[in-house]
Amino acid sequence: MMVSIADYGVGNLHSISKAIERSGAKIRVVKDMSRLAGSECIVFPGVGAFGAAVEKLGPASESIRRSITSGTPALGVCLGMQIMFERSEESPGDGLSVFKGEVERLSAARVPHMGWNEVSWDDDPLFDGVPPGSEFYFANSYVCRPEEEVTIGETEYGERFASAVRKGAVCGVQFHPEKSGLPGLKVLSNFVKIAEDAI
Amino acid sequence: MPLTKRIIPCLDVKDGAVVKGICFKGLRSVGDPPTLAVEYQRQGADEIVFLDVNASVSGLGTMRSAVRKTAENLFIPLTVGGGIRSFEDVRANLLAGADKASINSAAVEDPKLISRCAEAFGSQCVVVAIDAKRKGDGWEVYTRSGSRATGLDAVAWAKEAAERGAGEILLTSMDADGTKNGYDIELTRAVVRSVHVPVIASGGCGRTEHIVDVLKRGEADAALAASIFHYGELTVADVKRALEAEGILVRKVVET
Repeated sequence: MMVSIADYGVGNLHSISKAIERSGAKIRVVKDMSRLAGSECIVFPGVGAFGAAVEKLGPASESIRRSITSGTPALGVCLGMQIMFERSEESPGDGLSVFKGEVERLSAARVPHMGWNEVSWDDDPLFDGVPPGSEFYFANSYVCRPEEEVTIGETEYGERFASAVRKGAVCGVQFHPEKSGLPGLKVLSNFVKIAEDAI
Repeated sequence: MPLTKRIIPCLDVKDGAVVKGICFKGLRSVGDPPTLAVEYQRQGADEIVFLDVNASVSGLGTMRSAVRKTAENLFIPLTVGGGIRSFEDVRANLLAGADKASINSAAVEDPKLISRCAEAFGSQCVVVAIDAKRKGDGWEVYTRSGSRATGLDAVAWAKEAAERGAGEILLTSMDADGTKNGYDIELTRAVVRSVHVPVIASGGCGRTEHIVDVLKRGEADAALAASIFHYGELTVADVKRALEAEGILVRKVVET
């Protein structure tokens, strides 16, 4: 399977690329967003700010959204998860609206939420084989508020929020699996398997 | 469940090799950055910091190739600092494979650089490093590897940096650095209590108890240390076990 990694041009894509390659998938980094639709599988990495990222997606948003809603597996990481929702308090601009709901600022005493925190999940293929109680690396000031039943993992930081969502082969994680050691690598290889089974 | 406290080995890098400065002087070489970073990852480090201690002399290229090589096998966050002068330097480090860039002198000289980077890359990428030295009742900010007094109050500067979009403060006590007598608890707590972003305490770590102290009494979110790890005195796993025994919440160590 060939995984397309969306490159908004602002950050580190090495780790996510390496981690996905370790799962046996091939990767290509896509700078021209209009070439994302029609990919076998899309990953939206977690670097940058909401406004800048959705601006970069620009006119390609609609075709990407259609591609994902009609079955292209996708994974959004951190900011990448947030842009899969409808809009964000962080900055104006429309998200991909693959998931219903908005992105809001975390209500905690110390923001960004930076460091390793626990994710609790019920049985879900995205967390297959991950030791319960594992911590994952977070670096976020905003969180997604899903308005549909897609939450598969939750995390506590000042409040309880959705740290993982999934609808079929379309997944979002608020943490950085590519920066979360072995549990993170396992989540990525689980995603690759979910995606391969779906295509 | 609150956030776990982070243990961050710092690799002072000079001409592509790891060194540990004693009070910013008397550097000696102790190893290869990518190898050490991966070893610390194995031991359970929560993050790695690379600090280029003579960026102006060696040029930024050496560091970037070390970052690129490290990113191949590192699946925990990597912060790069030292000699980052501009928006383009920040971008170049992130593109090379760093997750965060730490800005020190350049942020003091041009505070707008902080917000510019935060807007483009997100606050989580932007660390403002502060070198502070006791002066009267407070602490003064120094730049250029501790050689230039700025007249700025460290607590006030930390607040300003956070307001301008720094996602984290990396706070080094110049008085404590290199002494191995423990972190500056008072300085750390003063900064932690005045900002709403995470604070990494640095400078002075000689024993595990120092880390316990700065996380508990100093209220730091993370502790950075160099020599106790580099010379094989203790592994990160040793430190984490000791912290757990003290009731400090840390990420479980999965040694591989």
